[in-house]
Amino acid sequence: MKTYVKVILFFVFFVAVSAILAALYLYNLKHTDMSKARPDFVVTATGLLKEFEDNEALASAKYINRIVEVEGIIGSINTSGDNILTISLKTENDLSSVICTFPAVADPSTFRAGDRLTLRGECSGFLMDVLLNNCAAVNAK
Amino acid sequence: MTKSGYIGFFSHTSMEDIKADNNQVAGVLDTSTGETVLQALIRSFHFDKALMEEHFNENYMESEKFPKAAFKGKITNFSSVNLSKNGTYDVTVEGELTIRDVTKKVSVKGTIEVATGSITAISKFPVVPEDYNITILGVVRDKIEESRSIGCDEISASLKQNKLIFIILAV
Repeated sequence: MKTYVKVILFFVFFVAVSAILAALYLYNLKHTDMSKARPDFVVTATGLLKEFEDNEALASAKYINRIVEVEGIIGSINTSGDNILTISLKTENDLSSVICTFPAVADPSTFRAGDRLTLRGECSGFLMDVLLNNCAAVNAK
Repeated sequence: MTKSGYIGFFSHTSMEDIKADNNQVAGVLDTSTGETVLQALIRSFHFDKALMEEHFNENYMESEKFPKAAFKGKITNFSSVNLSKNGTYDVTVEGELTIRDVTKKVSVKGTIEVATGSITAISKFPVVPEDYNITILGVVRDKIEESRSIGCDEISASLKQNKLIFIILAV
């Protein structure tokens, strides 16, 4: 075989392998680890809720799919069917809160209602409450 | 009522099983009439694989344009459920399911489990993507079952104010 054919074959092989590796990497990409991620916004639970209540469209455009670091007092702690931990942070509005859902690995025993908590999560939007997903505590006490 | 109801969706295919969970469903069941309302954010569906979640939001559900899914309906045989007696009751729910601003009438069977201090409602909804204008490329289409069954879970209820917490359903 001529040298240039070998070079081309090698090149094609190299590109194919890189493409497969890149595809596998993307396919298996994990969610961002919130305990290490840098937050896009740092807010209080009351402040975050107020922005959504004042102008949901504006707040949605600002926060959805961004990493938000929220500080507040733990209102309730729930674990549902598949051991999914959900913590609500109290706000000045008694009816609404900031609801934070954790990945399955989170340990509920480290949290107590009434404690002050700062956590990071991805904002999903607003129903009756502001919803955060994939949360991790920043300074659980 | 509940603010942490559950909707899961599951699709089995020859290549892989696709599964997502949403634990942030808001639901209300009026225990005097059997009427129920459920709301969920599309963005709250959580996949194991980050890329799959991104495609779900951006290519298929277009969650920026259509952030919410909702169900509004009524348990038609609610009178057969005795809320003061613990047990599991079979029910039929009829109502309207809205996904991507498309509203379809649905009628599904489910169960209501009454335990002391709580009521849990569970139901499954088959959903055909094309019904809600979800376009899926041919290659990918084969990966997705015609109807994605949605498993619904529970709600823990506080019977205050005559409203129950409802855990719910999904796509």
